[in-house]
Amino acid sequence: MKKLLVNLLAVSMVFSLAACGGNDSKDKDPVDDTKQEEKETEKETEKETEKETEKETEKETEKETDAEVQNDEGSVFNIYAWNEEFKGFFEEYYEVPEGITVNWIITPSQDGAYQQKLDEALLNQETAADDDKVDLFLAEADYILKYTNSEYTQDVAPLGVTDFSTAYEYTVQAASDDNGVTKGVSFQCCPSALIYRRSIAQDVLGTDDPAEVQEKLDSWDKFEQVAGDAKDKGYLMTASFAETYRAFSNNVTSPWVDEENNLQFDQQILDWIDQTEEFIENDYTLTAGIWDDEKNNQMFEDGKTMCFFGPAWYYNFSMENAMDPEKGSYGDWAIIEGPQAHFWGGTWLLAPAGTDNPTMVADVMNTFINDEDVCSKLVSEQMQFSNNQVVNQKFGEDPEYGNEFLGGQNDTAVFVDLAKNIKFENQTIYDQLLNEGLQTAMQEYFRGSVDKDTALQNFYNYVNETYPAINTPS
Amino acid sequence: MNKLDERKRSGGKGVSYAKWGYIFIAPFFIAYITCTFIPQLLTIYNSFFMNYRDGLTQVGPKFVGLANYVKLFSRDNTGNIGILKYFGNTMILWLMGAIPQIIVALLLAVIFTNYRLRIKGQSFFKAVIYMPNLIMASAFSMLFFTIFSNVGPINQLLQQAGFLDKPFDFFSKTISVRTLIAFMNFLMWFGNTTIVLMAGIMGIDQALFEAAEIDGANALNVFFRVTLPLLTPILVYVIITALIGGLQMFDVPQILTLGQGMPDRTSMTMVMYLNNFLTTSKNYGMAGAVSVVLFIISGLLSLVVYRTLSRQR
Repeated sequence: MKKLLVNLLAVSMVFSLAACGGNDSKDKDPVDDTKQEEKETEKETEKETEKETEKETEKETEKETDAEVQNDEGSVFNIYAWNEEFKGFFEEYYEVPEGITVNWIITPSQDGAYQQKLDEALLNQETAADDDKVDLFLAEADYILKYTNSEYTQDVAPLGVTDFSTAYEYTVQAASDDNGVTKGVSFQCCPSALIYRRSIAQDVLGTDDPAEVQEKLDSWDKFEQVAGDAKDKGYLMTASFAETYRAFSNNVTSPWVDEENNLQFDQQILDWIDQTEEFIENDYTLTAGIWDDEKNNQMFEDGKTMCFFGPAWYYNFSMENAMDPEKGSYGDWAIIEGPQAHFWGGTWLLAPAGTDNPTMVADVMNTFINDEDVCSKLVSEQMQFSNNQVVNQKFGEDPEYGNEFLGGQNDTAVFVDLAKNIKFENQTIYDQLLNEGLQTAMQEYFRGSVDKDTALQNFYNYVNETYPAINTPS
Repeated sequence: MNKLDERKRSGGKGVSYAKWGYIFIAPFFIAYITCTFIPQLLTIYNSFFMNYRDGLTQVGPKFVGLANYVKLFSRDNTGNIGILKYFGNTMILWLMGAIPQIIVALLLAVIFTNYRLRIKGQSFFKAVIYMPNLIMASAFSMLFFTIFSNVGPINQLLQQAGFLDKPFDFFSKTISVRTLIAFMNFLMWFGNTTIVLMAGIMGIDQALFEAAEIDGANALNVFFRVTLPLLTPILVYVIITALIGGLQMFDVPQILTLGQGMPDRTSMTMVMYLNNFLTTSKNYGMAGAVSVVLFIISGLLSLVVYRTLSRQR
């Protein structure tokens, strides 16, 4: 009887623990966990945000009936997005014209959910009521081609977005279709850096100075060698099997599919698989996914991981644990180019065909690339790397400017250099789900639940189900 | 309408009630035909077409005959036939959950209805065991996903108690994932089954139990020789509904395994497989083919169960 009681208590304790944990993440998520949306709470978040937006809209619509609508354009401005990152900046820095209600439709991107939602809306754009039309939507590098090369987006030049002189060239090229017609802009530029823990670098490499660390990590051979040294001292080199994935996948020399729509593996992808095999075998990394808690917990003060990879948005949105005032490791970080320059992600604002608010669309776009005041605030207040070369240059050259999170390092200066290398090429409309699918399938291999051939076959099956148009090897 | 009716009406004395019968059941048939029967035919029709979306471009519909079925039943490079594997998974997951579910429910139902035990607070217990069914399956799955994750409380507990050095990865082993899914389905449905079976047992004449006891039958004898045979019709009903529910198993494994049926797709069910075709590419051809196969399987299995039932009668 006593035993039974003890067991019961233990079980109930476990459940209450879980309940607490669950609540925590739910509370955090909608506010600023945005880039981590890929994880478990996303379904709930989606519902919550949708509900919130609905409520907000209702409220605002009521208010707005008194106000006068300024011109003959629509009074509801619908923005489709997959997280709240841009929403935060928009609400902070963009002054919405009087009489216009902004309505956010946010759907997490994992498993293509965002693309599905957006596609439905765009396909129904013509028949939708004016207030339901998509007026602006966000797209990522992995699938931007799908929209720019379609009739569902429109040229932004006639709308009044014509000055791209200070924007990074690749961001303009990415938002243009095959004929060079530009359909949108990006509010950020996303060179990706190696983000390392200063204290661990000090221990492993004997220095935490970015220039010296870069010298010791400027090739994959050196990176792998240092991983061994780190392990000897009880550290992990990275905290996810997919941590280095983007460094390889965004440097591919051939797209995921060839002209005949046959799936192909670029040498860079194969190199990633080889490297990760070695890293897993030697315990240099963890089998956690790139957005998993298990990985993110490594950013706490007691974390043992030396390297993370990401652009400016990454430390802002995915390194929340590092910024935790109690358990975090604020200031113990620095960034360098790392073994291979690359970019990761980036959010483009695209102009859908058929919007009933063309003036505001253009105004939003111009604000986020050409308004120097707003772009400066993105850098200084939001730790972003803006898509305005003049502004970035200004911060990069300012000896006074430093990022406290990175121990006072001028990260903008590093990114200004890295941004020169970015090439946006070899993309396909399928990239997001192919990248996700490959990582998922290979994760099982790295965890030891399947052999390599099975993992690849599972990836092919996934591709066949997701994209019937792609031919897989057989 | 036969002559008798007509004569009655012309005589003005009788009223045709049959007409009202048809009118009252008409809503069901209208709903069934528009919402179930026609879609079902359309599904079969669609399964002969190539019809999907590639990015934002619609491909098809183009008639391809049985090509979708051929694709469905062809072997991949590792020699597996996908759909058979997923059907196997579905049945295993269902059996793992349904067998304990029915046994436990039967046991509880017998205990609760036993006139000699006269358990107090029955309605309280009934409410409690039914409770898990009220939680949304997705919320329930998320909870389990969190509890059993590598950094979740179960692993923390086991590590702190010294049973494990390293977190045990529940989601990388077939057996643990399947057990979790089966356990959740069990938890969600045993209460419901218990209540149905209790109703069945209470429908049995109390005098039979008393008579058996007077004749000296012990509890086991009463259960196997009185309760069980008289409960068979209800039990078969429970099994059929559980079977149909089991074949359509989707929400729990979908959310628990993030839609991937990990590891190695061993917890991917038929409906999850169907869903894979629909989510991104809106592949109505292949999804239709999977639905038709699922429909045939459900029909066959129901027939088997129905046969068993009529034989016992």
